[in-house]
Amino acid sequence: MSGQAMRRLLIRDAHLVDGAGDHGRGDLAVQDGRVAAVGADAADGFEAERTVDAGGALLTPAFIDLHAHLREPGQEVKEDLASGLAAAAAGGFGTVVSMANTTPPVDEPGLVAELVHKAERLGRARLRPAAALSHGLAGETLTDFAALQSAGAVMITDDGVPVADGRLMRSACEYAAELGLVIQTHSEDPGLRGAGVMHEGLVSQALGLPGNPDAAEAAMVFRDCEVARLTGARVHIAHVTSKRAMQVIEHFKALGAPVTCEVTPHHLTLTDQALAGFDPVFKVAPPLRTTEDVAYLREALRRGLVDSIGTDHAPHTRAEKERDLLTAPFGLPNIEVAFPLLYSELVLAGELELGDLLRLLQDGPAVVMGWPAPRLEPGAAADVTLLDLDAERAVEPQRFLSKAKFSPWAGRRLHGWPRLTLVAGAPAYEREGAAA
Amino acid sequence: MATVEIDIPTPEKARKRNLLDFADWTAADVGALFDTADVMAQVLTRTIKKVPALQGFTVGTLFFEDSTRTRLSFERAARAQSADVISFAAGGSSLSKGESLKDTLQTIDQMQADLYVVRHPAAGAPHQIARWTDAAVVNAGDGRRAHPTQALLDAYTFRQRFPGFDGFQGKRLAVVGDILHSRVARSNVELWRRLGGEVVLCGPPPLLPRDVGADVPHTHRLEEAVEGAHAVMTLRLQRERMASALLPSAAEYVARYQLTEAVLARAHPDALVMHPGPLNRDVEIASEVADGPRSVIRDQVANGVPTRMAVLYTLLVGKR
Repeated sequence: MSGQAMRRLLIRDAHLVDGAGDHGRGDLAVQDGRVAAVGADAADGFEAERTVDAGGALLTPAFIDLHAHLREPGQEVKEDLASGLAAAAAGGFGTVVSMANTTPPVDEPGLVAELVHKAERLGRARLRPAAALSHGLAGETLTDFAALQSAGAVMITDDGVPVADGRLMRSACEYAAELGLVIQTHSEDPGLRGAGVMHEGLVSQALGLPGNPDAAEAAMVFRDCEVARLTGARVHIAHVTSKRAMQVIEHFKALGAPVTCEVTPHHLTLTDQALAGFDPVFKVAPPLRTTEDVAYLREALRRGLVDSIGTDHAPHTRAEKERDLLTAPFGLPNIEVAFPLLYSELVLAGELELGDLLRLLQDGPAVVMGWPAPRLEPGAAADVTLLDLDAERAVEPQRFLSKAKFSPWAGRRLHGWPRLTLVAGAPAYEREGAAA
Repeated sequence: MATVEIDIPTPEKARKRNLLDFADWTAADVGALFDTADVMAQVLTRTIKKVPALQGFTVGTLFFEDSTRTRLSFERAARAQSADVISFAAGGSSLSKGESLKDTLQTIDQMQADLYVVRHPAAGAPHQIARWTDAAVVNAGDGRRAHPTQALLDAYTFRQRFPGFDGFQGKRLAVVGDILHSRVARSNVELWRRLGGEVVLCGPPPLLPRDVGADVPHTHRLEEAVEGAHAVMTLRLQRERMASALLPSAAEYVARYQLTEAVLARAHPDALVMHPGPLNRDVEIASEVADGPRSVIRDQVANGVPTRMAVLYTLLVGKR
């Protein structure tokens, strides 16, 4: 069904929750892409073209992912905008910031404009592209930030490749600060990281795999925080994985440095022990760390040190992940399971409040970007997702909308699956067989 | 040719299907394998150095990393038991062109080999291959991780040559050199301790990080490692370690870590000197030590074939 064809949609009997609080049971009326009315009397006098009975399911603003690799242009064999933004909507995400480490990298305004234009016609999650910090991600010369911003780029990052040169990072931050652009960093010291393919520690030594120590991350996080403090630029530290790096961020946040940070679903739920079976599916960068690191990251969530959960959804072909551990690429697909995974493993396990998890996927990333916090209120964009918190289903990678049909959590039974995601009032995802 | 009846002991438990490392091997399994190797060594002293034990079996050697010596040793071990041998060698290049390890394996698997001998630069590749094939898999060296047949022939050599050998209990092996990058060191630690012996690791700090064999005694002092040891194994020092700034210079390494007669005097009076080869003479080991009376380096090489014969026999014939 085309989004424009249906202008008035009603979701009845939902449990309404947004960053302003729990609004109890009620209805949500959508007209022309925006919320028309919300609450117990929202249906009054509203002539819906379609009505969805939520049956008490959780209706909440669609999630915002500040970190996904959608692989277009050039790596469409792994993912493209159509599959990646459909997968995002299936995961409850209404907005995705795509990373720029494509082929070629997104370092020219024309490439940004093309991505934005293409995504608009798909009717899936909204695309907000990031642009490269350096030409060709080479870490040598700055891209044209202002022109990239005018073309639609919302973030500057060489994600995938650490910015080795501190002077270049400083210039980037100074320039971005004036434009109000967020710089996202992939903070790992290239020398300390070396050729590491997993966390350096007891497990890597036992497995004989080259290690990447937590010091590589903590040292670069320290530099990037210092540059943020020095320049006043808004620096978002992507995918924090280690206790040490989180402690550095805590230190700089206490100083009032303009630093925010992200953790990923996999770094919150998996450890370096996962590599013991020699399956490259678990090869990610930065690497899965230890039980102690995972516990510290979870503690950081509870203490409010983490600003956003970004997926770092990083699809690859199955064949690429069937190489050996030295040559297989880094990254795993997770955008479709991120919420069910974290809801099941953190919220249902009693480690995190549902409200905190939602904040990390809604208001948290919005604040990082300087966007208005998403709300279920009249006039707001009708970007919402309907979550079945009670339904338990197994992760079935073969049914992913992502092209990467494999998962570290294949077969895992999880709660909290999205049933319906609206973007600008139109269904961007609707689970097969879900009752309308 | 007269067929020679050979009496080969059977391991007590179910036979092992793979030799990837020693995770599921007991001391008794290894002891039975050594007894088999004794028989194989005897076969190799005959005029006709061949038995029909593996007639009808096909052994595939899959070398994704160059190693003429190990491959020759396995091929000899297979042919001495009348197995057919097929060989695949790729310097990793066909894989870097995009073919996955699984695709490569599945192509080779059409040749219907019964057992693969796998050498690969990436740790874990033999484990991956074992998941994808019904054939038995022998790890002939994977990255830094494991080289179990080398450890077997090292322990077999010790058992054969240590004067008055009465078991590994209480016997100490000192392994000296580039522990970080050494699959030989890792496999020796695993096997020697499984057999009841002790191991001490020694090397300069960048080549002996604290997390390697964290529960194994470490020292950065050669004299400490050698003190009272029943066997001293020195490892080859790669020139690349200096180029990649892990070590200052070969001269400094020689001064601090070369095994000399003077240092060896601290070892047990009957101590054996071992080296997995190839030697850098007068770098990690003084020539006089390598060629001296305590050296069993040539025995190690000679024991490679009977030990590997025993491995192939145990995995293939024991499978039924």
